[in-house]
Amino acid sequence: MSPAPPNDRPDATGRWGRLKAFFFERLGLEDLRALAAKKRVPIHQTTIFYFLGGMALFLFAIQVITGALLSLYYKPSPDQAFESVRAIMTEVDYGWLIRSIHSWSANLLIGVIFLHLLTTYIMRAYRAPREITWITGVLLLVVFLAFGFSGYLLPWNELSFFATKVGTAIVGAVPLVGEQLLLLARSGKEVTGDTLARFYSLHVVILPVATFAILGVHLFLVQKHGMSIPDRVAERRGGADKVPSMPFVPDFLVRDMVGWYLALGILAVLAALYPWELALKADPMASTPEGTKPEWYFLFMFQTLRATPAEVWGIENDVLVVLFFAFVGLVVLLVPFLDGGAPRGRTRQVFNVLVVAAVIFFIVMTAWGLLE
Amino acid sequence: MPESSSRRRWLLRSLQASIAATLAAVFYPVVRFLRPREATSSGAQEVVAPYRPSELKPDAGRGPRPFNFGGKPCLLVLSPDGEKRLAEGQKLLDGDVKAFNAICTHLDCTVEYRPEKADIFCNCHNGVYDLNGTNISGPPPRPLEAYKVTLRGTAKPGETAKPGQEEIIVSRTT
Repeated sequence: MSPAPPNDRPDATGRWGRLKAFFFERLGLEDLRALAAKKRVPIHQTTIFYFLGGMALFLFAIQVITGALLSLYYKPSPDQAFESVRAIMTEVDYGWLIRSIHSWSANLLIGVIFLHLLTTYIMRAYRAPREITWITGVLLLVVFLAFGFSGYLLPWNELSFFATKVGTAIVGAVPLVGEQLLLLARSGKEVTGDTLARFYSLHVVILPVATFAILGVHLFLVQKHGMSIPDRVAERRGGADKVPSMPFVPDFLVRDMVGWYLALGILAVLAALYPWELALKADPMASTPEGTKPEWYFLFMFQTLRATPAEVWGIENDVLVVLFFAFVGLVVLLVPFLDGGAPRGRTRQVFNVLVVAAVIFFIVMTAWGLLE
Repeated sequence: MPESSSRRRWLLRSLQASIAATLAAVFYPVVRFLRPREATSSGAQEVVAPYRPSELKPDAGRGPRPFNFGGKPCLLVLSPDGEKRLAEGQKLLDGDVKAFNAICTHLDCTVEYRPEKADIFCNCHNGVYDLNGTNISGPPPRPLEAYKVTLRGTAKPGETAKPGQEEIIVSRTT
């Protein structure tokens, strides 16, 4: 390797300087510095969209930290899960804060990922060569929905117990392999302590490992391909290379950090004013209580299940709804390949209409589910 | 040389086969491991319900909570005929008390008896069953699974059993 230009090296005078130079040389930090210097963020009226990915990353870091803390006291068994979460909420110093931040941050995180997906779509940032960036992003959304679903059961309260029963029963409605999937998800025919153990493992081992793997590829690709510039912006400026930009380090990163600080404040306020509830312990023999609903990000599916008749064209309600959402998910995953056409081509128009329809559907069904 | 190239191909194939066999040997136990073990829940064929028919009357407030029958919640319901007989002090018939597997046939929630509406309701997706367990509105695709009910008088020899105080014996029909 050729030596880096002298101005790239830290000043090796003084004790601090020598220490810095020591690590610089041994860790190859000049490569990292060159990498950081390469990354620039375009400036235009939707630059704010570029903050969403970093915001998701920040909230994920909060999840990792608070999750690790919660795992110090949580006990994943039907006899102890509820009691251990109650102890976290009432006995452990600041336990209520850590758990409430974990729950609130989880919800904000899913919301931010939804927005990140939507704005990436609006900017058409999924086009070549960024197809795999998009696909890994959609996979991360799926992983985080799984995080939400598996984490919901862990307190082993009434709501979470029935939400898990319904959620896994929906998996069971998948044609052909449904029964096997249901056994795999529940670790048996019923939701039991084995299910809790499986969800716990999923939540704290399997999904985190999957996240780090997929996120690694996602971030590498973002770095490799740089930030995407929307067509309209490039056109107005007379070429993508003429769009003004700012360096990621430190200009954009400092702005990112302002956003993170704001998010931290919002989380603290939410956790302090609305500590997360625990309610009643799950009782497998009790009737499902009134007002049993999933978290807001699954409400649209829940409401669709409620609003669809028992049978449509001879297909049972649950099978139909599962097939419908599986199809929608597949289309979302394949967006970069389905919309390969011209900027103002027909596919693009059809897609725009579909996306607007999907967003309206999501909002209406969620609101309906909340109000009913 | 053709001989050496075929030998090389053979070696390569062997290597590939060995890798495949190793992968199979590693992943087969893992896949089997993921399959849940057999359930150990009780397969009870018959149970004496923790309620007497008089406790099932609609004016007894919200319907009685389901109870455990072989690992599944079991719901008891007093039919309108039974209610009438009980009010007139007549002897109850076996069919006057109904017992159902309380698991909703839609997506596995647990249903509840709503005496004030004389129906069985699922709070998850608003499924409604009548008091015979037949699905009448909402998403449920099938009626509730019904159990056989036998009423057993608890009077001592020489006394007459008081209607409404019989033991409710729930059993699987199969």
